[in-house]
Amino acid sequence: MKDIVRHLNKVRWGVLTIIFAMLILLPFLHLYQSYEAAHAYDLLAPSEKSIYDSMEWLTKPFVKDPEVELNELKGTTWSGTLFGLKMSDPLAVVGQIAAGKNIYWPFLLTALIPILLTVVFGRFFCGWICPATFIYELNDNLAAWMRKAGLPVSKHKLDKRLKYFVLAAGIIISAATGMIAFATMYPPAIIGREIYYSIALTGFGTGMVFFLLTLFFDLMVTRRGFCRYVCPGGALYSLLGWFRLVRIKRDVTQCNDCAKCNVVCQFGLDPLRDDFSQECNNCTACIAVCPTDALSFTLNIKDVPFQGPGHLGHKHKRDEA
Amino acid sequence: MQKVTVGLGLIGFSSLPFVLSKFLFPKVLVDAHTRIPLPGALAGQDAFLEACIGCGLCGEVCPPDCIKFHSVDGGFASNTPYIDPSRKACILCGYCMEICPTEALTVTDIREVDMGTAQIDQVACYPWVDKGVCGACFAICPLGDEAIKLEFRKSNRSAVPVIQEGCVGCGQCVEVCPEPSLPIRIVDRSQGTVARHGVAIRKKPEMLKF
Repeated sequence: MKDIVRHLNKVRWGVLTIIFAMLILLPFLHLYQSYEAAHAYDLLAPSEKSIYDSMEWLTKPFVKDPEVELNELKGTTWSGTLFGLKMSDPLAVVGQIAAGKNIYWPFLLTALIPILLTVVFGRFFCGWICPATFIYELNDNLAAWMRKAGLPVSKHKLDKRLKYFVLAAGIIISAATGMIAFATMYPPAIIGREIYYSIALTGFGTGMVFFLLTLFFDLMVTRRGFCRYVCPGGALYSLLGWFRLVRIKRDVTQCNDCAKCNVVCQFGLDPLRDDFSQECNNCTACIAVCPTDALSFTLNIKDVPFQGPGHLGHKHKRDEA
Repeated sequence: MQKVTVGLGLIGFSSLPFVLSKFLFPKVLVDAHTRIPLPGALAGQDAFLEACIGCGLCGEVCPPDCIKFHSVDGGFASNTPYIDPSRKACILCGYCMEICPTEALTVTDIREVDMGTAQIDQVACYPWVDKGVCGACFAICPLGDEAIKLEFRKSNRSAVPVIQEGCVGCGQCVEVCPEPSLPIRIVDRSQGTVARHGVAIRKKPEMLKF
C-alpha cells in the first residue's frame, strides 16, 4: 500500500497530461467531424487534409460514424460530456445561479458528481484535473530554475482568505450584470476555451493575455499565487471540502523532521507541523518526497493537531534525553 | 493596511478581463443581423447571457462549424455563441441544443425554433428586379413550403420568393443567395414580420441592445 501511495504523484502527472492532451485533441476531432460532415475531401486544403487523415487514422479503430459517435466525448473541464454523462464545474453552476437568479435543475445536476467528489477529496480538482495546474506547475519548475540561476523570483506571502473575497466579488458582479463573470477569469475555463478557439476558430482570444499575466504573477510575486490567493474555483472547493474525508496525515513516529515536504509543497502548506487545512489539493508531492514514508492518506474529517517533532529527528531525541 | 491594498489590487487584477471587456466594448459593434442567436436559444439576449456559461460545447458539436463566439468586441456577450449566416448557416441538426448543459439552449422542435425571420430585399433579389429565374433560396430551405414560397407574379414575369410565417431564420437562404449584396438577411421576428416583408428600405442597421 505504501509503495502505491509513493507513486501517486507520477499518476497525477499522467492524469494532468492526459487531460491537457485531450483538450488539444478534441478541437482537432471537431475539425475532422466538420470536414467529414461536408463530404468534400477533395476540396480541402493540404493542411486540412493532413488533419483529416491523421484524425481518421486515430479514430478509425474505435468509431464507425465519426459525425455522431465522436460527439460522445466533448468539451472542457469547464463543462463537458463524457459518453453521455454531462459534467460541469461547480463554479459554473454557482455563477449561473448568481447571474440568472434561478435554478435550472438539469444544469445543477451536471455538477453533482464533481461536488460529491469535492466533499470527499477536498481540492482534488486543483491538483488532479485542472488544465491550468498543468501549466502553473511547469511554471513553478521554471521559477525553481530561475532561482538556481540567481534571478529574482516570487517570494512574497499574501493572505489565503483573499480568494473567498474574489469568489464573493464574482458572485456579486454576476448578479449585478447578469453575465457569468467567472467565465472570463477562471483559468481552467480560459485554457479550455482558448485552446479550442486557437485550433478550431480564428485564434487566441483575450483570455490568453490574462492567463499569461497570472503566470507572470506566479513567477514574480508569489509562488502558485493565483491558485492560492485569487482563484474563485479554489475558494469554492475549499469551502465544499471543509470537512473532507480523505486527508494526508503525518505519522509522527516515522518523521525525521527533514522538512522536504514543506519545501516541495507548492501551496505553501506546512506538513511538518500537521497543517494541511482545507487548502491541500491532494497533489501528493509531499508523500512522494518523504524519505521515511511518514506521510500517507487517512480517512478523517479533521486534521490532527500538531503532534510534536518527528520521533526520528534530533529535536525529539534531545527532548527525550 | 498594506494587506487590504494588496487584496484590493489583486481583486482588481482578477476582474481585469471583465472590466476591460465591459468598458472598452460596452456594445456589440456589428450589425445585429450578421450575429443571430442559436436555434433553441432562450428568448432575449439578456436571458441568454444569464444562462450561457461560455463553455463552447455548442461550437464543438456543430457539424457545419457555423457557430462562432463573440470575442472582446462582444462586450457582455464575449465568449457566448452566435451564428453569422452570411458566412455559414445553421442546418438545424439540433446537436447544440442537445449538448448544451444549461438552459441557454433547450431542445426545441425544428418548426418552433426562433432565430429570427428572413427578409428579402426586393430591389436586389434577381427575380424581384426582373433579372431572371433564380429560386436558390427556395431550393435550399429545409422547411420547404412552410417557410418560403415561389409565387408567380405577372409584373415580375417570373416566380419570386416570398417568406412565409413558418420561417425559423436558419439562414440557409442567406448563405446560398448568389446575389453579392446579400439581399436576404435574418432579422428579429418583432422587427421583420411577414407583414413588413420585402419593404426595400436600406436603413442604418440596428445595433444589438444591452
